[in-house]
Amino acid sequence: MNVGQQIINGLVLGHSFALVAIGWTVLLGVARLVNFAHGQMYMLGAFVTWAAIAEFGLPYMLAVPFSMVVGIMVGFLMQQVLLRLTLKQDLVSIMIVTLGFGHVLHGVAALVFGSTGQILDTPFSTKNVYYGDLWFTWQDVAIVMVAVIVFIALKTVLEKSRLGRIARMVAEDPKLALLGGIDVRKVYFGVFAFEGAAVALAGAVIGPRTPILTSMGFDEVIMTFVVVVLGGIGSVWGSYLAGISLGLFTAFFGALVSPAYTTPAAFLVLIAVLVLRPGGLAAKPGGH
Amino acid sequence: MSPVLELADLSVRYGGNRVLDIGALSLGQGEVVGVVGANGAGKSTLVNAALGWSRGAAKVSGRIALCGRDISRMPVQKRVGEGLCLIPEGKLIFGTMTVEENLAEGEDEPGDGRRTYGVDDVYALFPRLKERRGHLGSQLSGGERQMLGIGRALRLAPLALLLDEPSIGLAPKLVVTVLETVRELCADGLSVLLVEQNVKAAIAVVDRMILLERGRIVLEGPAAEMKDNPRIAEAYLGAQKR
Ligand SMILES: Nc1ncnc2c1ncn2[C@@H]1O[C@H](COP(=O)(O)OP(=O)(O)OP(=O)(O)O)[C@@H](O)[C@H]1O
Ligand SMILES: [Mg+2]
Repeated sequence: MNVGQQIINGLVLGHSFALVAIGWTVLLGVARLVNFAHGQMYMLGAFVTWAAIAEFGLPYMLAVPFSMVVGIMVGFLMQQVLLRLTLKQDLVSIMIVTLGFGHVLHGVAALVFGSTGQILDTPFSTKNVYYGDLWFTWQDVAIVMVAVIVFIALKTVLEKSRLGRIARMVAEDPKLALLGGIDVRKVYFGVFAFEGAAVALAGAVIGPRTPILTSMGFDEVIMTFVVVVLGGIGSVWGSYLAGISLGLFTAFFGALVSPAYTTPAAFLVLIAVLVLRPGGLAAKPGGH
Repeated sequence: MSPVLELADLSVRYGGNRVLDIGALSLGQGEVVGVVGANGAGKSTLVNAALGWSRGAAKVSGRIALCGRDISRMPVQKRVGEGLCLIPEGKLIFGTMTVEENLAEGEDEPGDGRRTYGVDDVYALFPRLKERRGHLGSQLSGGERQMLGIGRALRLAPLALLLDEPSIGLAPKLVVTVLETVRELCADGLSVLLVEQNVKAAIAVVDRMILLERGRIVLEGPAAEMKDNPRIAEAYLGAQKR
């Protein structure tokens, strides 16, 4: 086994996991909401980026923000449908509705984009870097950079800005936030817009690593679930660390044992962590 | 001039239970009106209903006017924006945020001539909060929480303040401090609806007092008259038994 190569693979994979999960981290941390259509929104992010390039001839650097705008619109639409359930914090119904929404997204995407796999080529994904016996692409570098930037930006906004303070007020006690004159609905819409934009960004940046299919998304939502729970629900740094750990674990487990069993193994780790540290890796009341 | 706060035919139901039925209640400018009554009489329900706010599923109907303007159709945050602020019973501050962050959200320029309170004004009123400005809300004592709750509401440039049992769990000396601060604020023109179990302390600072029983106003009058009323003595003794 080439240890250096596995570390690189693990880090790239880990940053992908973290980036895919960040929308959920905020969703769960601020709004106490779940979104089981998350994986399909990731799929849509990748396909919209692909279509923007292949069909509309946009350059990749414009296709990414385009895809994020579509992601925001999908997020808004979902929150519009869910708003009453959100305000009631009816988690079971939200789970079912979002799961259904994911299937609808899958169906629509299959109708629009077809069921065959596509390759999302970008100016970075085709450029390889060789360094001794190590290998990666510029797209891999882009994934790590985008993930780091998004996490730092999120952490900064949450801790230092008025917007972040308002989000934390709503996260702790939405009823009390109302008494502070905060329009809690707007915050919920904002959170869903962020979720939509972030997961579309993840699809646009990570999609190029593998062929994309409209049937993908289920693995992504499962991994997101593991990352968010492992990281301690709602904790930004926790998710980042959990993503990296899971990435390294997956890379080494795949190299040493078998790539076929990484998901069950990841769940075994999750179960073990939850039993030993019920709050997740970065357990801290209130999260962040 | 119309009263600052006016409630008319206000009723509240929880499921099929009607727990509040108020014919009329008004609060003039600079006035402190005390609301007393036994546990479960509907005191919290009353102040919460004025904002249309509830931790549970309260159904409110009736007319609520702030400075003559009907606000009964506005969402809670809009009523707060208009200058009606509540310091609720129980959890009244953000425990995961520092004192400073708790006070950060506020109006420095509401623009319609309302008196504003900056963070420094709040610290001047409650020096204890300034000392503890870096501490988390969850690390504060009961009295400090009440001060922070009042400070948080003041930052929103209130016209009327609804205070739900600010003395609960406080040492007698602190009760006096908090209530006297409330009195001072009224000298500045603020109007206060003060829910209190501590009738003795309340009667010293209020202008008028209302006795609630099973969701209805059963007695109402100036503080001086209420002091000698046997039913108030009864409610006051009831409060002592807690
Ligand atoms: N969330 C709720 N669901 C159902 N009933 C409620 C709820 N909150 C209050 N009630 C009922 O409404 C009535 C009035 O309650 P409220 O809290 O207003 O009393 P209170 O006068 O503030 O009492 P305390 O002095 O104990 O604070 C009580 O009979 C109570 O059981
Ligand atoms: Mg009460």
